[in-house]
Amino acid sequence: MSVIKVDGLTRDYGGQKGVFDVSFHVDQGEAFGFLGPNGAGKTTTIRHLMGFLKPKAGSCTIDGLDCWHEREQVQARLGYIPGEISFFEDMSGTEFLKFIAEYRRIGSLNRRDELLERFALDPKGRIKKMSKGMKQKLGIVAAFMHDPDILILDEPTSGLDPLMQSRFIDLIAEEKKHGKTILMSSHMFEEVERTCDRIGIIRNGRMVAVDATAALRERHTRRYTVTLGNEAEARAFALDFNGVCNGLEVTVTTKQSLEEIFMNYYGGENHAEHGTV
Amino acid sequence: MLNMALYKREMKGSIKLLVIFGAVITMYVSIIIGMYDPELMKTLDGFVEAMPEFMASVGMKAHAATLLGFMVSYLYGFILLIFPMLFCILRGNALIAKYVDKGSMALLTAAPVKRRTIAFTQMKVLISGIVLLILYSTGLELVCAGSGFPGELDVTALLMLNGGLLCLHLFIGSICFLSSCLFSDTKYSVAAGAGVPIFMYVLQMLANVGGDAEKAKYFTFFTLFDPDGILAGAGQAAAGIFILLAGAAVLYALGTMIFDRKDLHL
Repeated sequence: MSVIKVDGLTRDYGGQKGVFDVSFHVDQGEAFGFLGPNGAGKTTTIRHLMGFLKPKAGSCTIDGLDCWHEREQVQARLGYIPGEISFFEDMSGTEFLKFIAEYRRIGSLNRRDELLERFALDPKGRIKKMSKGMKQKLGIVAAFMHDPDILILDEPTSGLDPLMQSRFIDLIAEEKKHGKTILMSSHMFEEVERTCDRIGIIRNGRMVAVDATAALRERHTRRYTVTLGNEAEARAFALDFNGVCNGLEVTVTTKQSLEEIFMNYYGGENHAEHGTV
Repeated sequence: MLNMALYKREMKGSIKLLVIFGAVITMYVSIIIGMYDPELMKTLDGFVEAMPEFMASVGMKAHAATLLGFMVSYLYGFILLIFPMLFCILRGNALIAKYVDKGSMALLTAAPVKRRTIAFTQMKVLISGIVLLILYSTGLELVCAGSGFPGELDVTALLMLNGGLLCLHLFIGSICFLSSCLFSDTKYSVAAGAGVPIFMYVLQMLANVGGDAEKAKYFTFFTLFDPDGILAGAGQAAAGIFILLAGAAVLYALGTMIFDRKDLHL
């Protein structure tokens, strides 16, 4: 059953900016990766889902509720990490989390403490003085602490170090196991690839591909089998290039970068234009 | 309709400004009421005779007979208009437009709280601040007049006068609130929210000078607050206050409606 549904969504900002006839859906218990370069329309689409913007054409629904007209009911079940988080900078992290809990009328704070521990965040300091990574962690805690069953995450790992990125990915995997529906945007293929079941690729405001992660990965990996002179060399080669050694033969795999995947979808016609994106 | 968590946070945000303006008003009100002295009145009347246009432009007229008349002349033309007005401008802009401009409005709208509730709560914060300032001024006037000149102040008339003043500031607040809801950019929100009341006050100053410039009074809402008329119990003054109050209600409702329906690029 589709929980998040975007149907023919259009908003034209002029000059090729905006989103045009975007359609996709995310099923119950599914993690959907929303992939695209900066300025492709990911955030614009998410703003419509959040009920911040009214669709000019098309519609967005979450669990059958209209994201604009019934946004309060939708919001009750939603957890959201904005692409660019702007806090009340006069508060400390602790005050902020307390405010959000009261504002949303969250009863239990167990989840908050558990999340703070997981991300090794001490929220006592003033938000103004926090680093980008600390602010991002604070945003994550605020988005997850009411235990929402639908998550909309706009580039949630930006600013996190690799350790915290992997803790976040573990969190997403757990949430998915609990049947949560997740929409996660990113401009990094690897991140989405590790967490999402299906991936939608958006470029210049248009969906260019929606496919299962496995299929996409399969289509965009290349394998080379190299035959080396002796086994010692073959083992060394396999170690250096992360390949699979089989006697004298070593198979190495390369993944295409997002850029290359886009090239694949667009072919030659937009080649020159793509170079400037 | 009211979100208590937001209301508490924003009232905390109002405290600093309330204390500052409260202190300024305390200073002026106590000094000016303390100056009420038939002997000193002559000096002030001397100023009015020496530079009538300037004194009139800030609402100060000669020969204020009673203590209340004296207060109307020296407090209700400038001090008690300007400082609550500055409060409206600063808070009005900060309550909605600043959050939208900075993006932190996303924290408030990404929650199961109606946008109408957010706007209504912020409106209550602005109104609470205005009411606190006027209540404080009233109390202060009563204390200063009571201790300096026992029995000289017509308390009922003062309460009526400050009721009118409250309506005037509620109206000014509604202009700032509407502009804050309307514009997503603080630049424009301040331009309209501060520009309109200040321009109207300048027109009022012009009109007070008299002569040809008196016609300016038909173009400023400050004319609707007529302290002399209120004290004289004139029907026209009561109608003016009613228009201010009704106008405020319309503008607050309009602001809330606009905020509820507008696109937020957060």
